[in-house]
Amino acid sequence: MDRLSALAAMRWQMFRHSIETVRGRLELLSRILVGLLFTLLAVGGAIGYGAAAWYFVSRGHTQYLAFLLWPILLFWQIFPIMASAFSESPDSSYLLRFPLSYQSYFLVRIFYGLLDPASFVGGFWLIGMTLGVGVAAPVLLPGAAVVLFVFGMFNVLFTQMIFIWVEKWLVQRRTREIIGVLFFLLFMSIQFIGPLANHYGHGARIAVAQIATRLSTSQQFFPPGASANAIAGMQSLEWHSSLASFLLLSGYAAIVFWLLSIRFRAQYRGENLSETGGHEKSKTTKQAPRAGWSVLGAPGPIAATFEKEIRYLARSGPLLFSLAVPLIMLVFFRVQGTGNHAGFFARSPSLVFPIGAAYALLLLTNLSYNTFGGDTGGGVQFFFAAPVRLRDVLIAKNLAHTFVFAVDVLVIWLGVWLLYQRPVIYVTLLTLAAALFVLPVDFVAGNVFSIYSPKKANPGKFRQQRAAQVTVLASFALRALLLGLVALVVWLCREYGNPWLAGLILLLLAGCAFAGYAALLGRTEKLALERREVLIAELGRK
Amino acid sequence: MDQPAIATESLTRRFGEFIAVQDVNLRVEAGQFFGFLGPNGAGKSTTIKMLTGLLAPTSGSIRILDFDLNERPIEVKRQIGVVPEDMALFGRLTGSEYLNFVGRMYGLDRETASRRTAELLDFMQLADNPKKLVMDYSHGMQKKIAMAAAVIHGPKVLFLDEPFEGVDAVASGTLKAMLQRMISHGATIFLTSHVLEIVERLCSHVAIIHKGRLVAQGSLEELRAGVQAQAAPANDNGDNLSSAQKLTLEEIFLRIVGGSQSAQEELSWLG
Repeated sequence: MDRLSALAAMRWQMFRHSIETVRGRLELLSRILVGLLFTLLAVGGAIGYGAAAWYFVSRGHTQYLAFLLWPILLFWQIFPIMASAFSESPDSSYLLRFPLSYQSYFLVRIFYGLLDPASFVGGFWLIGMTLGVGVAAPVLLPGAAVVLFVFGMFNVLFTQMIFIWVEKWLVQRRTREIIGVLFFLLFMSIQFIGPLANHYGHGARIAVAQIATRLSTSQQFFPPGASANAIAGMQSLEWHSSLASFLLLSGYAAIVFWLLSIRFRAQYRGENLSETGGHEKSKTTKQAPRAGWSVLGAPGPIAATFEKEIRYLARSGPLLFSLAVPLIMLVFFRVQGTGNHAGFFARSPSLVFPIGAAYALLLLTNLSYNTFGGDTGGGVQFFFAAPVRLRDVLIAKNLAHTFVFAVDVLVIWLGVWLLYQRPVIYVTLLTLAAALFVLPVDFVAGNVFSIYSPKKANPGKFRQQRAAQVTVLASFALRALLLGLVALVVWLCREYGNPWLAGLILLLLAGCAFAGYAALLGRTEKLALERREVLIAELGRK
Repeated sequence: MDQPAIATESLTRRFGEFIAVQDVNLRVEAGQFFGFLGPNGAGKSTTIKMLTGLLAPTSGSIRILDFDLNERPIEVKRQIGVVPEDMALFGRLTGSEYLNFVGRMYGLDRETASRRTAELLDFMQLADNPKKLVMDYSHGMQKKIAMAAAVIHGPKVLFLDEPFEGVDAVASGTLKAMLQRMISHGATIFLTSHVLEIVERLCSHVAIIHKGRLVAQGSLEELRAGVQAQAAPANDNGDNLSSAQKLTLEEIFLRIVGGSQSAQEELSWLG
């Protein structure tokens, strides 16, 4: 306990020191703002969930609580992937130097997991549900509280378990490739659901409905259904059924706990995951080094930095995974419903591609708004010690981010084609024109924020890649402004019956944006030189 | 008279109220193996960071090979190689990718960078693990790859901040041989180290910084003579320093920056 309180005291001191600078205070302000937004979501959701739980329980449909628990589970697991710019987990490897028992280490790690916004919001929603159940049937309150607490702990452990295992698999090329192939197969198979349902008409819808009914029955064997059944059993005094469901839920939690503790224990013992782990370490073969890349006739330093950025990205499993998130979202929204129950995307397929591209831009935040974040271990010093202009380094990094964005947009385009419909040429061209306008402006802002509020990032770890919170908020505000402007141009041109004019205007804006980008590079370089000490100190910090 | 390889004038660096380096006037001639010494926190790393462009001086000027670092930073950086305190590595590249990258950043063409990378990896005995990332190297291997990166473009002046720290005896011998060879080819080496025996063995000239001020500068013989001259009056008071005794660099250093405090009365709980 003394050690845990010492750790808490240490983090408190670190926090106090962190707000001694203007940047630190701004960061704190941003965190408070984001915290308020999440609190609003948590409290609002808790009220909604509480009301819904009260309604189901008071009407005697307690088993329908599962309909509330499934979205909570999905939110808890998907939000950290979807909104990586808001999710962060402190690096816990430093704990290993202290004489900390495994139990204490485990508790600290779980505590870090509780700090995640998804846990905070999901936890609040569960409290709301518990209160809703309690108000509807006070006698159920203690039992429901225990069941929903176990469900909450299951979620806390589950989300950490997924990240920690995927992180392990993504760290090595072979397992990374296997996951890539599996993901591709899953993606290819899911695409058949919608077209089949649409192609075979009503008959197929009945089949889909039958499958859905079966799924609805079988869902009770999963944590949300088991939780709902456990509470429903208490209400109908079917104690055996209630106990069985609760044991099933506890079993899930125990399995997840066990799987998580395997990884925690390995990390506690000082496991060091690396690209060259396993048997490859023993290989001692000499190979003649290959010459560096040549990038479209770009000068050596730009080509070299571009190559370095792409190599870094290719070796960062979590970063690669985050780039696949738009596809996961496309699949998720595609399987959400068909026919009358179809979601927004299924009803407005022409908007899927531009929305997907905008989402891909958001996912670029941690890269482009903290462009030196991955150059830790003294790497950033090199850019100041080498005989290169920093503008060349920034150009190369921006080119690499453009390349990543282009690949992501291409994949989204193909995904939309396979899952929804082929994006129409007009929408595709407009989206590309909008990207040409938005990207240079976004890069200018990203470069400036990367210099003003750099944050050490670990490309090999989930939840340790986030840019500074103030940067994330500013980037979202800027994107909202830029994308709002794009939407306004498109809407006005459509209103006035000349939709192609929007493309022309966006290209003109893109031209201005490029000119602005080029003009501001010199000033950004000057800024970087002025703030090199902050950059080196912040990113070189152990 | 030839221009010095490194010259500073009233070099000063403040961090708020704290003066880390004050009025430092350094002069390092071309071809010298120059040791820059000082106790912890004396200002060594701050000085070397200013000399290599990693830190802006608050005032004063720096000239490297007759270029003003402030006015012609790119020209200066082309002529120098640096192994900073934390080595400036990119951990997620392999050794060969890293050296290739550095070579091209220093203006080498792709083929030359690739050829020199192969030679350096062989020389540093790092060629056996081509797929190993730099972040997975041992500390000594990282020092070697950092050193290889610092020399890949054939610098005329080399700045080394604690280059032998954590390096085994075999690798240390390899590095020393390489540095001696560079000196024999006319390069200038500016080195900081806490291991005074290494400095004594390698360096022809030494400067000592203490509490941000340069307190001694010259060849080892000049420093020795200076200390002995200062100690001469003390001889009359019982100090047993004879003029025939040859002081080691450690003794010179301790006499200039002050002796070590005794730990005997303190930390009694250590047993």
